[in-house]
Parts: sequence; C-alpha cells; structure tokens
Amino acid sequence: MAAGTATVTAAALVTDMVKLLGPERVFHKDVDLKTYTYDSSFVSQINNFTPEVVVMPTSTEEVSRIMRYADQHGVAVTPRGAGSGQTGGSVAVRGGIVMDLSAWDDIVEVDEVNMQVVVRPGVVHAELNNHISSYGLYFPPDPGSSEWATIGGMVANNASGLRAVKYGNTGQYVLGLEVVMPDGQVIRTGGLKSKALKSVSGLNLTGLFLASEGTLGVITEVRLKVWPKPPSRAIVVAYFDRLEDAAQSVLEVFKAGILPSGIEILDDGAIRSVNLFKPQLKLPEVEAAIFFEVNGSKAATEDEGRQIEEIAKRRAGSVEMATDAKRMKELWTGRQAIGAASARAKPNAARIFAGEDVCFPMAKVPEALRRIKEIGREHDTMVVIYGHIGDGNMHTAPIIDPLKPEEVEAAQRVAEDIHRLALEIGGATTGEHGVGFVRAAFMEEEHGAALTVMRRIKDCLDPKGIMNPGKIWAEE
Amino acid sequence: MEATYQLDFAQELKKCVRCGKCRTSCPVFHELRGESASPRGRLALVKALQTGELEPSEELADRLYTCLLCKTCAVDCPSGVISDEIFVAAREYLAEALGQPLMQRALLRGFLTRPGLHASASSLMRLYQKSGAAAMLDKTHLIEHLPEKARAAARLLPDVAGRPGRKRLREVTPAQGEKKYRVSYFLGCATNLLYPEVAEDTVEVLSRNGCEVVTVDDVKCCGMPHLAYGDMETARELARENLRALSDAGSDYVVSDCASCSATLGETYQHLFDAGTPEHARTKELADTVYDVSRFLVEVTGIQPGEHQVEATVTYHDPCHLSRAQKVTEQPRAVLRAVPGVEFREMAEADRCCGSAGSFSVMHHDISTKILDRKIDNVEATQSELVATSCPTCTMQLSFGLRERGSEATVVHPVQLLARSYRGE
Ligand SMILES: Cc1cc2nc3c(=O)[nH]c(=O)nc-3n(C[C@H](O)[C@H](O)[C@H](O)COP(=O)(O)OP(=O)(O)OC[C@H]3O[C@@H](n4cnc5c(N)ncnc54)[C@H](O)[C@@H]3O)c2cc1C
Ligand code: SF4
Ligand code: SF4
Repeated sequence: MAAGTATVTAAALVTDMVKLLGPERVFHKDVDLKTYTYDSSFVSQINNFTPEVVVMPTSTEEVSRIMRYADQHGVAVTPRGAGSGQTGGSVAVRGGIVMDLSAWDDIVEVDEVNMQVVVRPGVVHAELNNHISSYGLYFPPDPGSSEWATIGGMVANNASGLRAVKYGNTGQYVLGLEVVMPDGQVIRTGGLKSKALKSVSGLNLTGLFLASEGTLGVITEVRLKVWPKPPSRAIVVAYFDRLEDAAQSVLEVFKAGILPSGIEILDDGAIRSVNLFKPQLKLPEVEAAIFFEVNGSKAATEDEGRQIEEIAKRRAGSVEMATDAKRMKELWTGRQAIGAASARAKPNAARIFAGEDVCFPMAKVPEALRRIKEIGREHDTMVVIYGHIGDGNMHTAPIIDPLKPEEVEAAQRVAEDIHRLALEIGGATTGEHGVGFVRAAFMEEEHGAALTVMRRIKDCLDPKGIMNPGKIWAEE
Repeated sequence: MEATYQLDFAQELKKCVRCGKCRTSCPVFHELRGESASPRGRLALVKALQTGELEPSEELADRLYTCLLCKTCAVDCPSGVISDEIFVAAREYLAEALGQPLMQRALLRGFLTRPGLHASASSLMRLYQKSGAAAMLDKTHLIEHLPEKARAAARLLPDVAGRPGRKRLREVTPAQGEKKYRVSYFLGCATNLLYPEVAEDTVEVLSRNGCEVVTVDDVKCCGMPHLAYGDMETARELARENLRALSDAGSDYVVSDCASCSATLGETYQHLFDAGTPEHARTKELADTVYDVSRFLVEVTGIQPGEHQVEATVTYHDPCHLSRAQKVTEQPRAVLRAVPGVEFREMAEADRCCGSAGSFSVMHHDISTKILDRKIDNVEATQSELVATSCPTCTMQLSFGLRERGSEATVVHPVQLLARSYRGE
C-alpha cells in the first residue's frame, strides 16, 4: 500500500501518476526515490523515509489533479522545494507522494510600478533577486540558503535570514497566494484580482499558510511585495575577545538609534571554518566576530557605518569597515556559507543539522550564548555558534563524527537541552526553520492549548490527513 | 564497499551535510532537475551503495555516469566534499561489481538515444581506435556498437587532420636563443590526432621562449578516459608507463597543451598509488614538474611578447581541468594579452563547463548540447571572432556548437595566437 490510509497499491499509484503527468516527470525507481529521502536534517539521514513515487508538476491544473487523486485514494502528499530545510519537512515520513516543485520556476510577472512580483513556487530566492535587480527592485529576506532555496519553501517555512533584523521574514512580503487545497480545490488568498499592497479584507488566509510547512495545501503561486534596492551598503566587522562583549555591542548599537540591515555573529569555531573555506578572507581568529550590515543612501551608510565602528571599538579588539564591493561580497558569502562550512571547525568531523534554530529575547542573548557553550561542554560536544544575533535567532551547530554513535547521541542531547533552554528563558524553539519532524515533540510544551486549536484548523482543512503527515503534530 | 582509488568512502561521505548548495551550479542538474541528477543526489546514492542500502545496478551506474566530472560541486562545497573524486571511485567499484554486460548497457543507453545524424562514422572510429579512450571501450566491447553511435557523434568531430602531430614534430626541437630549460612535451591523444597544428605551435612557442623541447615518443594516453570509466587498472598501467617514459627523457619540466593531460599527470596520478610506495613517490616528483603550457610561460620562462600584430577580438573559455582542477585561470589570459593586436573580451560564466567532458558529449548528447547552448550564448554575447581555450575536447565541443549556430567564430589555443604573432601571420 502506498501510505498508511491509502487504498491503492504502490504500483497502481505509479501507473496513475504516469497517466497524469507522463513518464518524464514521475520517478519511481529505487535510485531516484532514495534521493528524496532526505533534506538537510540529520534525522532524515539516519532514517529511511522513502516515498512510493515522486512527481514534478509544472501547472496548477496538474497539482490539482494530483491532489484530487490523493484525496480520493487517501495517499499522503509531501510538497518539496529544494530540500534545504533542516527539519525533515520535505521528507515523506508516512510514504506516499513527494511533490517536487523545484522545477516549476517561472517568474510570471514583474510589476515595477506597483512594486510586486508573481512567481511560481520553484523560483530560487537568489535568482528572483538577480532577475528583478535590473528593475531596481529586491526581495529583502536573505536566507543563508538563498542560492538554492525556493520561494515556495520560504513561504511554507516563513523563512527569514541575515536581514531579518530590519526587513523581517518572508511573510511580511507575501501579498497573496494561490493554493491547491488537500481535496484539489484551487483558492487564491489576498483577493482574487487584488494588486493592493495592503488588505484587511476577511480572515488572513495568507497568514494561515505562512509557516504551514506543506501541512495545509500546496502553494502554487506567490504574489510578493518587493522593495526598491538601496543604492549603497557597508559592512562593519568587529572582532571580540569575549563572546559576551560581542552580544553587548549589538545592544549598544540599537541603543544609539541605529537599525542595521543585518547583524550576524560568528563564534571562534565559525570564524575558523570560514577561514578554512575562504582563506582569502583572513578573519582574525578571536572568540567572536559580529558582522553589521547597513544600507540606504551613500551618506547614510557611511555615517551609520562609522558610528557602529566607534561603538564596537569600545569593546572590540579590532574593527574593519568594508565598502568595497568585492570585499563585501567575500565577507557576506563567507558568512552565508557557515551553515555547511562549520564542519571544517574540527578535523575529521562533520556538522549535523540536528534542529538548532532557537530564538532568544534580545536581553537574554549574552546569557544564552554562555549557557549554550556550557551545554556543549557538559556533553563533551563541540558546538559552533553563528546566526542572526540582531533578532536573537541563533544557530548552534554540533560538530561530531557522525560515524560514532556515542557522539551522535551526545549531539542529540545537546540539541534537546538547547531547545529546553530556549523555552525556559522565554524564547522560541525555532526562529525561522520551522518544526517539521524534528521539533514536533516540543510543540505541546511550547504552545499548550493553542496547539489544539492549530490541530482543529488542520483537521478542518485536511480531514483525511493526507497533507504532509507527521509534521508539526507529533501524535500523527 | 571497500576503500578504493586511495579514498575511504565512509570518511569522505560523512562530510556531506546535505545542505543542497551544490544544486546551484551543477550544469547537469540545471538541465535535468530531478534530485538524482544533483551532486547531493549522486553522493546520497554512493552512500546508499556504501552502506548496502542499494545494490549496484544499471540505473545506479546511469545516474553516476550522468555527470561531467567538472568539479564545480567540489570546488563550491562549503563542507569540503571531494564529490567528483568520490564519483570516480564509485565508478571503479561499479565497473567491477556490475561486470561488462550490465555496465555496457548502462553506458550505451545514453549513446543510443541520439537524434538521427548522418555524417560519416569513420572519423569517430578512428579517434576511438587510435586514442587511449578506445582501450576502455574496446575492453567492454562498446567499440562494436560504435558505427551506430558514431553517426550521432561524428558531427562533433573536426575534419581529422591527415598527419598526426607526433609525425610532424622532431624528437628534439632546439631552443631559439639561449637555452634555459629542457622540456618534455607531453602530446595528448586528442591534440595529436585532431589538432596537430596546436602541437606544432606549442613546440614552437616553447622553443621561442628558450626551451629545448623533447617530444617524448613512447608516452601513452594519460589515462583520463579510463579513470572516467572506472578502469583504474588500465589507468594505473598507463601511469606507470608514462612515469617511466618521462623519467627516461630526463627533462627539467613536463609541459602539456591539454588541460586534461596536465591535470591527470600533475594531480590524479598521486591518487592511483598507495602512499609510501616508490610509485607514489615518483608521482609526487612528477607533479612538481608538470605544467600547463600557459602556466609554464607565465611562471617559469616569462612570456616573450609577440612581434607582429594579430588583429582579432578574442574571448576565453576556462576548461574544467584547468580552472578547477589546477586553479589556472589568469595565465592563459596573460598569454592572450601578450599578443599584440588582440582585443580580449571576457565572457559571462567563462568557467562554466561546456558540456563536453571527454565522451560525455557523445554518451549524453542531448544534455551536453543544452549545456553547450548556454556556453555558446555567452560566447556570442561577446561578439568575438575567436574563442580561445586550452583543451582539445573543449575545442571540439565549442567548434561543434559554433558550427551548429552557423557562427563564423573559430576556436584556437592561446599559444596558437602567440605563435602566429611570432611568425607574423
Ligand atoms: C546552509 C543552510 C542555510 C540556511 N539558512 C537559512 C536562513 O538563513 N534562514 C532561514 O529561514 N532558513 C535557512 N535555511 C533553511 C531552509 O533553507 C529554508 O527553510 C528554506 O525556506 C527551505 O526552502 P526549500 O525550497 O529548500 O524547501 P524544502 O526544504 O524543500 O521544504 C521546506 C518545507 O516547505 C514545504 N514546502 C516546500 N514547497 C512548498 C510548496 N510549494 N507548497 C507547500 N509547502 C511547501 C515542505 O513540505 C517543507 O515542509 C538554511 C538551510 C541551509 C541548509
Ligand atoms: S556536497 Fe557539499 S554542497 Fe553538496 S550537499 Fe553536500 S555538503 Fe552541501
Ligand atoms: S562534477 Fe560537475 S556534473 Fe558532476 S555532479 Fe559535480 S557539478 Fe555536476
């Protein structure tokens, strides 16, 4: 059988999908299915969540037909973008169909005057920005995975990233969505014909699908607000001998009335990793570095850059301000690469994505950083810290030898303790990556009765439980 | 799965965190779009093979061979995964595990699905029979199928020049002016058979720059085609013979005008033998003396600038085996700039693979042609009269792409322009 509640065999499912889409965009051989058993989460790599079939639809009609079929036959459907998620979100933990939407990457419309774009779900974030830069526009959220993550995946996870401190998350830019519901019905949120930049007409269905992680429907089109591209930017990098000083400097910059477009932290392990990946960067190897990015007019960026430099100098050992395009690109791409490059922090080891995306209240960040280091020491596990310190959203990467079971177990305990720390000091278990499979166990503790309401919404929209089952709600 | 090709699969594979970044720049994935065509997907397949979750199969071989070994994924990987080397090692394992008939079918599948092309098969036959590439195909009896496939591939080939390079060159060409170095010229199969005039120009340029040039007669194919098809045994045998022949020649340096040959001699040979063995020590010694010709001119002799004007607009395509395998990108451009009259125009994505990758362009013609289309778009956008590149397979592929478009631009090796400038053509 294709999935828990399916009324169709795997073989029949494949035949029927081929009838719907033709053979080219349906994968069912073991070798192809194997490559859909993972995203970047470690959990997906130590399990074997194999779908029965993978489909690659490229029209709303095709998605709708697949959903109608899945609804009739009780087959689970897991939407998937680039599979860069870190939570097992795009992996078919209950089998069935994986719907790979990454090849459906048309930019349908760029409306320069109304400052909005309409895209299909598979458009890659960086490619959208490359395309609209010739119109002087840009879509500000900036995930570390910008070069490969899809807009569909970003909406479904309400992703954010390096510039969230000033520009917020993806959701703040979504004006409307086309969604194929679990029974195949096609709806449009935000107004059928609307091109308005604001609308409070009716319940906020757009908001409902943000961070829904593919559990409520398939996003097939996104209408995004985009912004004028700031003409100038500058990056100030400050190097600190103490992690706590780095965190304090961030608070002091805010206190001076400056709102940088990005504030990123790298601890010693992260700095070392970036140097190993991009030796030309030559970052001083201290306990912590903070990257401040400012943007706007040339005069404003220079002025704010200089002010930040002055403030940081009070605590930092050294400070570098970059306005040269080449150096800024090197620094920023170096920072973006840490997610995977942190493996280099320790020889013969790897970083694992074990579900560490905690978000702390700003005032508690210095304390949280210290406690995370302690947790690492308690479990004898190296933890590399980097992330969006400007909004308290930290990534804590365990660096272990994944071939050693005792190290894997210790890393899992580290991840568990860090999640508990976030809940204990009034933070969130996930700031941007989502719940997926890996954090479902914390939902009850984090949300209490609100989780029951979420469950009721899910049951109402997806009564047969076929949309990405096994995610967000642990009991499924 | 045993450790092979000096590579421990489990240790290398564990570095891949499955972040997905390598989906960004893989030329093959860009055309096919399914995850199994991405570098991350191929690594997952090798991992499944290593852990025993998947058995060796024709389909698995197909996915692993639908790869240009262009190294883009490896160079871009933040985590330091040596993906292309992992794929080569896995091919070796598969070649052994599957045995010939299955492997043959897997390789042929792409080959047989060519659109019907009608050009003569004889030139392809000749290349495959004469070049070292034939060895692997011969061994697997693929050669028997060639006439059929050759129709498809023949359009790729240039008109095969009458006299091969080796017959045109003297055993020792003296240095012009003061002799600075004695250099062994490593003449690769494709240059020898398809572009003998490049061989002549390389030797002339070396000689003009103070080198006594020995065209070593008994060198064999460098072994790159065999490595690509997982035939390590033959590759090792060829490496041994070349090590001996080059050492007998007793030169200060070994220089090649073929990016694949210099990459194989200078880097890959070291992976073929166990550390600590005398052969491994010899590959290391050899590596220190091997140079691509442009790099040699820039870093060792210094370029004697051209004397006569060569009025031409020229763009440059970086071969994967030079830019990524050897990190040589500036030197060929420096050679072009040393030619008076040349107006150099940088193309977009100059280091993106052209889709040739040895026989990939024949075996996976459709994908290769799509990758090539993008390259030719970039070439045409520069409106250059000439495209320079440092690899005979890239030359073949780019020439094919330009011919198909009806473009008048032609492909040259950078040293050819320098030679023309010396001669005043
Ligand atoms: C190195 C690295 C750095 C990262 N940096 C950041 C960062 O800075 N900020 C950040 O927020 N995230 C980051 N991420 C996480 C991840 O890239 C984001 O969550 C991204 O939005 C996922 O996009 P995707 O296309 O890969 O989606 P996938 O991983 O394929 O899917 C993610 C979720 O969305 C659902 N989904 C995908 N497409 C659709 C659709 N069309 N309709 C309905 N549901 C859908 C899936 O079912 C799944 O639940 C990073 C990941 C890596 C590996
Ligand atoms: S090979 Fe490198 S870039 Fe590709 S998924 Fe693995 S870690 Fe990421
Ligand atoms: S070597 Fe090139 S073709 Fe092969 S997987 Fe890597 S990027 Fe793709």
